[in-house]
Amino acid sequence: MTETILALQDAWLTLAGNAGRIDILKGITLSVARGESLGLVGPSGSGKSSLLMLMGGLERVTKGRVSALGQDITGLDEDGLAKFRRGRMGVVFQSFHLIPTMTALENVALPMEIAGVKDAFARAKDELDAVGLGARMQHYPAQLSGGEQQRVALARAAAPRPAILLADEPTGNLDSVNGAAIMELIFGLRDRHGATLVLVTHAPELAARCSRVVRLVDGRVDGTPA
Amino acid sequence: MSFALAACIARAELRGGLRGFWVFLACLALGVAAIAGVGMVRSAIEAGLTDQGAVLLGGDAQVEFTYRFATPEERAFLDQIATKTSEIVDFRSMVVADDVHVLTQVKAVDDNYPLLGSVQLEEGDLASALTGVVPGAVMDGILADQIGLKLGDRFKLGAQEFTLQGRILREPDSATGGFALAPRTIVKTKALAQSGLLEPGTLFDSSYRLLLPPNVDLAALQSTAEAKFRDSGLRWSDRRKAAPGVARFVDRIGAFLILVGLAGLAVGGVGVAAAVRSYLEAKIATIATLRTLGAKGGLIFQTYLIQIAVLVAFGVSLGLILGIVVPLALAKPIQSALPFPAQIALYPRPIIEAAFYGVTSAFLFALWPLARSEKVRAAALYRGGLSGGWPRARYALAMLVLAALLVGGAVLLSGTVNLALGTAGGVIAALVVLALAAWGLIRLARSSARLKALRGKVALRAALASIGAPRAETMQVVLALGLGLTVLAAVGQIDSNLRAAISRDLPTRAPAFFFVDIQPDQINGFRAKLAANPAVTKVDSAPMLRGIITQINGQDARKVAGEHWVLAGDRGVTYAAAQPANTKLTAGQWWPNNYQGPPQISFAAEEAEELGLKLGDQLTINILGRDIIASITSLRIVDFSNAGMGFVLTLDPAAVAGAPHTDIATVYVDPGADPGAEAAILREIATAYPNITAISVKAAIGRVTEALTAIAQATTIAAMATLLTGFVVLIGAAASGERARVYEAAVLKVLGASRTRILLSFALRAALMGAAAGIVAIIAGGIAGWAVMRFVMDSPYAFEPASALTIVLGGIGATLLASLIFVLRPLASRPAQVLRSQE
Repeated sequence: MTETILALQDAWLTLAGNAGRIDILKGITLSVARGESLGLVGPSGSGKSSLLMLMGGLERVTKGRVSALGQDITGLDEDGLAKFRRGRMGVVFQSFHLIPTMTALENVALPMEIAGVKDAFARAKDELDAVGLGARMQHYPAQLSGGEQQRVALARAAAPRPAILLADEPTGNLDSVNGAAIMELIFGLRDRHGATLVLVTHAPELAARCSRVVRLVDGRVDGTPA
Repeated sequence: MSFALAACIARAELRGGLRGFWVFLACLALGVAAIAGVGMVRSAIEAGLTDQGAVLLGGDAQVEFTYRFATPEERAFLDQIATKTSEIVDFRSMVVADDVHVLTQVKAVDDNYPLLGSVQLEEGDLASALTGVVPGAVMDGILADQIGLKLGDRFKLGAQEFTLQGRILREPDSATGGFALAPRTIVKTKALAQSGLLEPGTLFDSSYRLLLPPNVDLAALQSTAEAKFRDSGLRWSDRRKAAPGVARFVDRIGAFLILVGLAGLAVGGVGVAAAVRSYLEAKIATIATLRTLGAKGGLIFQTYLIQIAVLVAFGVSLGLILGIVVPLALAKPIQSALPFPAQIALYPRPIIEAAFYGVTSAFLFALWPLARSEKVRAAALYRGGLSGGWPRARYALAMLVLAALLVGGAVLLSGTVNLALGTAGGVIAALVVLALAAWGLIRLARSSARLKALRGKVALRAALASIGAPRAETMQVVLALGLGLTVLAAVGQIDSNLRAAISRDLPTRAPAFFFVDIQPDQINGFRAKLAANPAVTKVDSAPMLRGIITQINGQDARKVAGEHWVLAGDRGVTYAAAQPANTKLTAGQWWPNNYQGPPQISFAAEEAEELGLKLGDQLTINILGRDIIASITSLRIVDFSNAGMGFVLTLDPAAVAGAPHTDIATVYVDPGADPGAEAAILREIATAYPNITAISVKAAIGRVTEALTAIAQATTIAAMATLLTGFVVLIGAAASGERARVYEAAVLKVLGASRTRILLSFALRAALMGAAAGIVAIIAGGIAGWAVMRFVMDSPYAFEPASALTIVLGGIGATLLASLIFVLRPLASRPAQVLRSQE
């Protein structure tokens, strides 16, 4: 029997906006098996990124439960969630989200330093070499192109060898050539480290590379009764 | 056309309001308000002194003599020109009541005193308080309390007994008396006839206050008096400049405080520059869009120059309103706190002065970032960012012109060329040093963040990386806080050094007492009594007369040598037959024993050099109205720093033969002696010789320290205004960095960092910048302190670590506080929301 690594049970996410409270996710129930690659697709505003955030503990459910790696993370506070992510989860964003005051090498080493990994910098170097940025380690994010910044972000997410890799439209801000290269790297890393991948994407060809695809519409998994 | 278009665009841009400009406005308003406020109070005092001139002087005019009364001829002249005259005698003496002996400054008056105004007593009036079978006296309440005298109690001045019949609240003419070592006692002069205090040779000043006919030409009258009694030692003053000492003091301290205020404007300038830079950064898309639509660099520069000009006008107006309203609102407390009259009102000069400083400094600091606006290219729409580098030559030239205007204005308006240039040089040097230090800190932080030793220390490394990153606010924080702290450090170092020089170093070498007015027939008995006292370690005595150097080689002394303290008023003059044991000559020779030739002088070597005097020069010294022309035949070392006896002028005995004089003595007491030993000496001498006046060095030091404390407080308040501006800049920097901190915190949370770790990183970052600013401030402030002590005070300088440590801790505390105010949002924000908003 396949082990469940991520599970959401009747997960709701309600956010307060200027127009009042809005239900972003409406009772999602979903599980992801270890080693699986799951593609999340759906129209803009359907709640794909929000679902990814819930899985990563970057957002907390308003109602329902979320568990990861066999642990219920629903009730954890901000610090508890941060601690939980250490070394277990890697996140890649559409806008890279590197720390602008740190070099590429420092950015990649940072999550491992936070997790107390001894050889953080040596591993960060290897990871940057692996994504083809061995020559640009001492560059600040502002000195790198978009494609290069996303490679750094990818190296940062993968370096701690996380069990779960979450990627939120990682090619959304890149041209087709760079986008394709990044996707090769993401799937390559997943294959190499055996991580579970959850990928949010608009691109059908990328979703097709995943072992399973879930479509979201208006905050619900497509096919779930309204 | 271009300007009209620029104005049109500027108006549209400003429609968005002044949001984001509060630091700009606060910096400018604070600096301008401080300068306007100080200027208003200074003008108020100057107006008060002018308006109340006659009352402060005690008459329309005053003629003074040192050491003597007016001759019958002089008195006849004064009575002839005046409608009413009053004679006043001023000297120091001892109030003796039972076993208590306390120094007092005696003012002996006639029946006409005061010609103008009135002496306010706690109860009753002066005229009736000074009468009685046992003559009446009134004294400062502090003095009466110190001795334990109540109204009706008896006390002695010299051999004369008095009854205390009043406590003085206010003397109308107290501001003209200068610095007094002791509180006041007022008696009638005729009551002193039997006191033995006004014997020939005793130290006193006599002054004759005159009420003059209306519309009299004061300048002509002064010329007549000075011509008629040339070389008599007569000193004239009148209501045109009633209290020159006070006026000069107020002028100097006012100028000094305004210069400290200018340092505050420089600190504010850093905030202005930062605000303009961040405003333009926010406008890059607009500028780039204007570029794509064909706008030239000049149009863009004008557009933003107009906006900055509007803001400068707003900020300066705000500062002026504050600078006017605060003194007006606090008029009563200010007037009652000042020892001289002040007419708080609206004065145009300080307002124009403050506006000039505000406008000039604001444009000086805004121009650099403003000049870069025209360098923004259309491509910035895609790539963003203000280009760095130097502004074009014409803007650099404009900045130089503005800087020259500012410094030139400070020199002209403050009237103190050296002080203004020194302050300007100090501020520029401090800014350069701080900029270099900030640059060094950025480099050091950047390389330290990569040190292997720091790997794994996430909070510290993140803090260092943040300080060393391109476009970090390190430069802004170090400049603004550093300059504010530098001013405070300089004030702290000078204050500590002066206090140390006075209270710690001096008493170990200084005598316990000065005794003055020792009559020649008393000196042997006086010395014998002290020799018998085991607590006394040394007694030095010398005959003393007082004289004024009026001419150098036949020319007016002040015209030859300028304004030097040796030429300002009368000086103590002594004589000696043989070269005193501890005297070291640097040039020339001492006169032979029993010398009877033309008068000779031994002059203090350092002062001779300052005055440009050399061996063979002839000085005309007026002693008791008689001119003595003497040649300088030797120069000798005189040390004034140990408060011992030091005479600039020593004459050969024959030169002053027959001139009435008294002796002065310094008495040194064993530091290990019984605490009551000094009081016992005072009692013994006062009982045996009631006419001799003792001046306790400790008490004198206390009075000087009080005066210094008041000056230090005023300076510290001005320096604190500078620091407050620095703090506003810090808050501004922290506020503008808040968005970056929120983002940084969100990413760190995603990567697994706890809030404690993030907080620690932010706190470390602030503390490191604060410490750097503090350390540089100590170095710069120390150099400024050394320069002031060495070149202005002519006193040795020692680094004061306690004051320095306070500055560093203050710097760390200020940046921590400013930074932590803006740390709550980053810590509380949820990463998903923050990062989503950046997508």
